[in-house]
Amino acid sequence: MNTLQADLLKGLTDAQSAELLALGVRRQYPTGAELFPLGAAANSVFLIERGRVALTLPMQVQGRAEDVMVEERDGGQVVGWSGLIPPHRFTLKATAQLQTDAIVLEREVLLAHFEKHPEVGYLVTRNVASVTGQRLQIFQAMWLREMQRVIELRCP
Amino acid sequence: MEMFLMAVCMTLFGVAVSAMAFGAATSDVREEQALATLDSKLDVALASMPERFFARDTAPTINVPPPVVTVPRVPIEVLLAQIERHVRLEHAAAESFLYDPTVESLHSRTTSPLVH
Repeated sequence: MNTLQADLLKGLTDAQSAELLALGVRRQYPTGAELFPLGAAANSVFLIERGRVALTLPMQVQGRAEDVMVEERDGGQVVGWSGLIPPHRFTLKATAQLQTDAIVLEREVLLAHFEKHPEVGYLVTRNVASVTGQRLQIFQAMWLREMQRVIELRCP
Repeated sequence: MEMFLMAVCMTLFGVAVSAMAFGAATSDVREEQALATLDSKLDVALASMPERFFARDTAPTINVPPPVVTVPRVPIEVLLAQIERHVRLEHAAAESFLYDPTVESLHSRTTSPLVH
């Protein structure tokens, strides 16, 4: 992963990025492994180094509960930002679609680092706001597109 | 004499007309009475019948089972793959809207099989 391209590290110097990444724990997730389940307490943020993660929500399909993919994240992208945003609960389930390597950053460790380095805290928080804002806008547009179809079906 | 006979004829004619008028008048009253009696009987008969619209008492009630519509069931794996493809296409369409926020890009069509 190129640290300059990582969502969470945009705007940070190489030294700041290296210092931040050193706070995390590198973990490997084989294909199909779960990074976090829906509804669990969110205490960490996951920075994907390589691989791909599917974010899913349960849906009833032909009478069966199935995890339906709503988003995909790959190298350089962040998942689990609920670890930094209250109420600190995962609102999706994350599963490795491929062999995935991620740096897991715990909230308490990150917050302590931000206390010492507010400029890093500001940039990371801005990056998290950018990720969450983009997701909100995308889902807003997706929701409106589906609503348009519902209206076209019901009131042709 | 002629005058007398004429007066008698006129009198008889008057009596006959009066009798006819009296008879006609009394027969209307009887008919009205008969019709009123008939109406009241009909009202009683109708009141005792159940209310219904365009239905006959003798309409046959046939218990026909609803037609079995055989819709080919898509295998769940295929359906899940279609949903995944749909989400990817919709996500891409929504992302393109963010870069070019226009009405056209918001409602752009995709090739998703779930939409067509």
